[in-house]
Amino acid sequence: MDKLLTLTLGGLTSGAVYAALGLSLVIIFRATRVVNFAQPALALISAYVAFSVNKATGGYWLGFAAALLTGALLGALTERLIMRRLADRGHLAPVIVTLGLLMVLQAVAGMIWSAEPRSFPYAFDFRGTFSPAAGFAVAVVLVVAAGVLVLFKATPLGLRMRAAAFRPDVAGLLGVRVGLMLTIGWTLAAAVGALAGLLAVPPFIYPTALDSVFVHALAAAVIGGLDNPVGTIAGGFALGVGLSFVSGYVGPELVTMAALAILVAVLVVRPHGLFGHAVARRV
Amino acid sequence: MLEIEDLVTTYGAVRALDELSMWTRDANLTAVLGANGAGKTTLLRTISGLQTPVSGRVRFDGVDITGLPADRIVRMGLAHVPENGGVITELTVEENLRLGGLWRRDKAARAAKLREVYDLFPPLAQRERAQASTLSGGERQMLAIGRALMSDPQMLLLDEPSLGLAPAITVRIMRILRDLRDRDGLTVLLVEQNARSALSVADRGYVLALGRVVAVEEADDLLADDRLRHAYLGF
Repeated sequence: MDKLLTLTLGGLTSGAVYAALGLSLVIIFRATRVVNFAQPALALISAYVAFSVNKATGGYWLGFAAALLTGALLGALTERLIMRRLADRGHLAPVIVTLGLLMVLQAVAGMIWSAEPRSFPYAFDFRGTFSPAAGFAVAVVLVVAAGVLVLFKATPLGLRMRAAAFRPDVAGLLGVRVGLMLTIGWTLAAAVGALAGLLAVPPFIYPTALDSVFVHALAAAVIGGLDNPVGTIAGGFALGVGLSFVSGYVGPELVTMAALAILVAVLVVRPHGLFGHAVARRV
Repeated sequence: MLEIEDLVTTYGAVRALDELSMWTRDANLTAVLGANGAGKTTLLRTISGLQTPVSGRVRFDGVDITGLPADRIVRMGLAHVPENGGVITELTVEENLRLGGLWRRDKAARAAKLREVYDLFPPLAQRERAQASTLSGGERQMLAIGRALMSDPQMLLLDEPSLGLAPAITVRIMRILRDLRDRDGLTVLLVEQNARSALSVADRGYVLALGRVVAVEEADDLLADDRLRHAYLGF
């Protein structure tokens, strides 16, 4: 019983990270129909900036803020300088470009901060099963997810962003600055991704630190439905708990395989995710 | 209000608009008629900034708006109801309407306009919380027109509002356009394949063929011109 509780709580903590990183993928996918494979690299650079700020100032929260700002800025730059130029090149080109960006940014991170693992602090001292750090991770992700949902559903900006995502041509005719909405979407997504990175990285940061987390986050997003924020949050937590059980009851070496097996199973049964609904493909 | 001069818009090698010129009178309803492929939709899309012309000029209220992005043009008071209405089916009726006036800063004016649109189209008021995908064809067209009115435009461009609608609903929509012109002094540019119903409310009419103007007359004269009617308008 004790083991079950421990595994559940641990699963919720890692699930929070998958949910946050998954949410950052969903925000961009909804707006552009592009899966942003560069997301872990954007989050990685942000976390490295936090690492440098932490070292320089000795405090945690200044680095935390710096990472979110860096994430937001990187997201905006990625959209403005790169993605915008690919808008009329079909669906595949932007996805491939984000993959390329992932490799470039990981290499750059290695050049600047070296490929060696460096120690990276938790938000709070890490003690016991459900530590303050774990509680913080779950709480902050739930708050951010709620904030994103309120933004989309209940604010004029969110209405504009949804309109620009669903029908960019019509949104333009209604006075919505569609390009600006895309920039805001990427900015928001990359800031959420940076937050996920800060929660996922400890105790060590290195250029590939977020790779496996990203695989799980992508699985969470696909399980939840790539254009469904609520489904992705739920998918993230469910996957976290499920993988924690696999690790605890079966064996930790099977975790990645289990994640991919769940992903494949969901895609076979419900191609639009457990919570998604089928959308006719625009030809 | 609208002056168009030698407008050329191309799709690859095809000249959809071929040195087209036209103008509209204020508080008038101008019909643009012609067969499929005459360039009617391209004309509206080029005016409202969805399409960039190769050459020529579009002037609105004396200001050159050629090549400006769509979101700037609508803010100048020129609203475009695209083909099939362009209702965003994933949003509710009210969200669609609010979207139309969201760029205006004056909140009170926005709220007043929303009530005005609901008064104009009572079926929309009854279904304000409904998903727009659940509306009938006629209700969607009302929503599209109401949403364009939310921006409080000086001029309205409409692309085939009668498309796919029952005759009775088409009559109702045409009456509403006539009332908007007579009561609010709205200038309307109405693209239609259904020439008969468009000319029943229009003041003037242009007939297009292959991207060029082949005739322009007062609406009554167009209706009286048998040769033109048979050749281009199909009735």
